[in-house]
Amino acid sequence: MTRKKAKPDWRRHWPRLLFLIPCLMILWVPSYNRIEPKLGDVPFFYWYQLAWILIGAAIVFLVYMIERKIAHAAKSSSEGMTGVPGDSP
Amino acid sequence: MKLDLTATIVFTLLFLLVTLLGFLAAHWRKGDLNQLHEWGLGGRRFGTIVTWFLLGGDLYTAYTFIAVPALVYGMGAIGFFAVPYTILIYPILFIVFPRLWVIAKERGHVTAADYVRDRFGSRMLALAFALTGIIATMPYIALQLVGMEVVIGALGFPPGGIAGHLPLIIAFVILAAFTYTSGLRAPALIAIVKDALIFITVFAAVVVIPAKLGGYGAIFASVPQEKLILAPPSGNSLGSYSAYATLALGSALALFLYPHAMTAILSASSDNVIRRNAALLAAYSFVLGLIALLGYMAIAAGVDKNPAYASGFSQFGPNFAVPALFLDSFPSWFVGVAFAAIAIGALVPAAIMSIACANLFTRNLYKEFIRPNCSDADEARVAKITSLVVKAGAVVFILALPQTYAIQLQLLGGIWIIQLLPSILLGLYTRGFNALALLIGWAAGTSIGTTMAAMQGFGSSIYPLEIFGVTLPGYAALYSVAINFLIAFALSPMLDYLTRRSPVSASRS
Repeated sequence: MTRKKAKPDWRRHWPRLLFLIPCLMILWVPSYNRIEPKLGDVPFFYWYQLAWILIGAAIVFLVYMIERKIAHAAKSSSEGMTGVPGDSP
Repeated sequence: MKLDLTATIVFTLLFLLVTLLGFLAAHWRKGDLNQLHEWGLGGRRFGTIVTWFLLGGDLYTAYTFIAVPALVYGMGAIGFFAVPYTILIYPILFIVFPRLWVIAKERGHVTAADYVRDRFGSRMLALAFALTGIIATMPYIALQLVGMEVVIGALGFPPGGIAGHLPLIIAFVILAAFTYTSGLRAPALIAIVKDALIFITVFAAVVVIPAKLGGYGAIFASVPQEKLILAPPSGNSLGSYSAYATLALGSALALFLYPHAMTAILSASSDNVIRRNAALLAAYSFVLGLIALLGYMAIAAGVDKNPAYASGFSQFGPNFAVPALFLDSFPSWFVGVAFAAIAIGALVPAAIMSIACANLFTRNLYKEFIRPNCSDADEARVAKITSLVVKAGAVVFILALPQTYAIQLQLLGGIWIIQLLPSILLGLYTRGFNALALLIGWAAGTSIGTTMAAMQGFGSSIYPLEIFGVTLPGYAALYSVAINFLIAFALSPMLDYLTRRSPVSASRS
């Protein structure tokens, strides 16, 4: 692997724990197997699961952004330590 | 049924457009197509947007568009498991596959079997991977033909006979030709047209059809109450709850192990392209959810009671629900657009699947066991020819055998392909694992999963597992891969110990 192990895995990848939210919510079938409350005329069972597609995607996007930030921070701090000029504030 | 001329003309024109694109694709981001990674992975140069179209076109196939609403139409809520399934695949895509991509890029892997060959140094494990991949994918290609056959039948072509099969054969000859010349670039380019057509069709359908049927309230009211939600568990069984959840989870774990999914992933230009797509592909999932609801719209429209569609239903069963609904709701020219979307939706995955099978055969059977010293150009040539053979096989399969075989084999394919999961995960996330232990786990998982399906007469992949007097009906793929994992974990340290001992004892004697 070419990547530097700047930080331990869990410190770079903790945002991935957020993935547990959509997974558990959607696997817990009894929590949404009902008709009421309807959204418009659509039974709960259907609009709830469709909504989780969007929430799930938002969570993936969020994790991506946070991890990128962590990676950038790690990069600039390691550059700072090795004395690369220019980037530090 | 009478031939719908307007629809057929629109359909044919769109099909011709796509054919042209397929051949032009050879010149797109031009590479040396005599190299396997250029022909079979598009040179690993696809950025976020192209990968989005390619993966979307690859995973949301024509058969999906026909079969998911058909399941909802016939069985109700359980058919909606496709939605939790697509929610679960994106975290998996985000976590596991960028890691695999980085290693594959570094080490020049074209297939998953290349990866395990390199990672575990085991030719036999790689062989198991290649055979599983090819055998699980073949019926999937055949099912794309089923999707195409349904819409061609719905256009009004006579069922069976030369006239009935000719459009299908022509479509597949065209597909075979442009896949041969352009490789993965062809489905990547065509996928853009396909998705545009699919999105237009679906959005028209979810707006126009409910308006005609009196709104979503009327649609859901026409569905029998017991179909609308899952039957709550009774007695000592978790009933449809465990079936629903395990179907979603098992299908999600299996999806990216399919060779065609792997091919699309490895053709991305960076690991971040894959991560971004893990968020962006949700657009397709949402559309798939809407498509699933077309099944209920078909019930509300009463297409099954309409004598005009009786012959279609008798020939294709519930798979005819969506085409009948479109015929019932849209003007002829738009029926042409919608059916073209489905037929082109069959071409894209069929092309990628045949390329993926060709890559597997060439890299992991031909080069590994038959001609280890073949040149790069030979490798690419063998792959191109294999892609032709694979497609011809799929056509013969569909025309010569009953359709139920393809459906049952595809159901088994899911059970077989998931058995590759332990090797991939343990390869990526542990320091080392005993290859023989993984191979034994694979063999056990495959045979147990197959037995579970056989006990249901190959009609269902839901196996009623009994633990301490409680019945947990669940997806056989998930149960059998759990056994696969357990065996790998139990045997690996033991076999490691034995193999480490033997050279020492040999040197002593």
